[in-house]
Amino acid sequence: MLNKTLTLLAVLLTFCASAFAEEIPISGTVESKCIVTQDTAGVYGNASPETLSTATADGGVHPVVRFDVIQADYYMARISHPTSFTESPNLSDTVTWTGTTSVDQVSDAAMSAYDTSKVEYDNVTEVDLSIAGSTWFKIESEADYGYNKAFPGGQYQAVVTAECIAI
Amino acid sequence: MKQIMLLLVTLLSGQASLAHDFTPTYPKLETTHIGGVLKASMKLFNKRDDIRYYRVGVYDSDWNKIPFIVTGGKTINVEYLDTKRFDVYIQESNRDRVTYICTKSLTLQDGSTRSIMASRICSKVK
Repeated sequence: MLNKTLTLLAVLLTFCASAFAEEIPISGTVESKCIVTQDTAGVYGNASPETLSTATADGGVHPVVRFDVIQADYYMARISHPTSFTESPNLSDTVTWTGTTSVDQVSDAAMSAYDTSKVEYDNVTEVDLSIAGSTWFKIESEADYGYNKAFPGGQYQAVVTAECIAI
Repeated sequence: MKQIMLLLVTLLSGQASLAHDFTPTYPKLETTHIGGVLKASMKLFNKRDDIRYYRVGVYDSDWNKIPFIVTGGKTINVEYLDTKRFDVYIQESNRDRVTYICTKSLTLQDGSTRSIMASRICSKVK
């Protein structure tokens, strides 16, 4: 008798639970897109008076930018390393700029080929993002002042431009 | 599939706190109620906490500027983690020339933002 009652109760509880169940949909769309993310902000180190450099050996930090593409072959990354300061004390002599852009980290091992397929001109590096996923690019930048002249004291800032262009 | 999952995990992780996102990749030019004017509907998502303003630009295939109008102005204020939808209006006579519609991050001149990276994303009109 008790077993029969318990079974009936269990059936009723199951029925009640399912009667109050709600289905809440979560919808989303995956579309082709590119997302540009500043992963690491760069810092200029000043190991020698006439040089500002993002190299670790000079006390700097390389800026890192990440490109995320959902689908392959839809975008090209174009990264420009600095050729001028956006903020600096008054500089009376010329500044010589050098820089490079290289692959730092990848979400797909095949992306390491970007370093050989990249196109470089002036201060620009272009890479066809031919593999879906995330690629981190490291930008190295160095500024040399005059002929072994010491940079005047003050705040210095330069900007890296990271572009993602649909192709 | 594994790559897409990895990408989604990366996008949803806390690391993507300085991201610029502009869609669609290939916008379509649609007719408007104004004769001789076409529009493209765009969406900008600002996940850069160091940026509040973006500048819209429209270019041909050689990166020459093409005249256009944007709802609310060419400089768009988008707060952090906010999404802005806007329409880009161009003359129908420029239909064949329009190639790129871009947004570029802007740094305030007063020095209150000290971003070291300017980001620009360009969609392509096909």
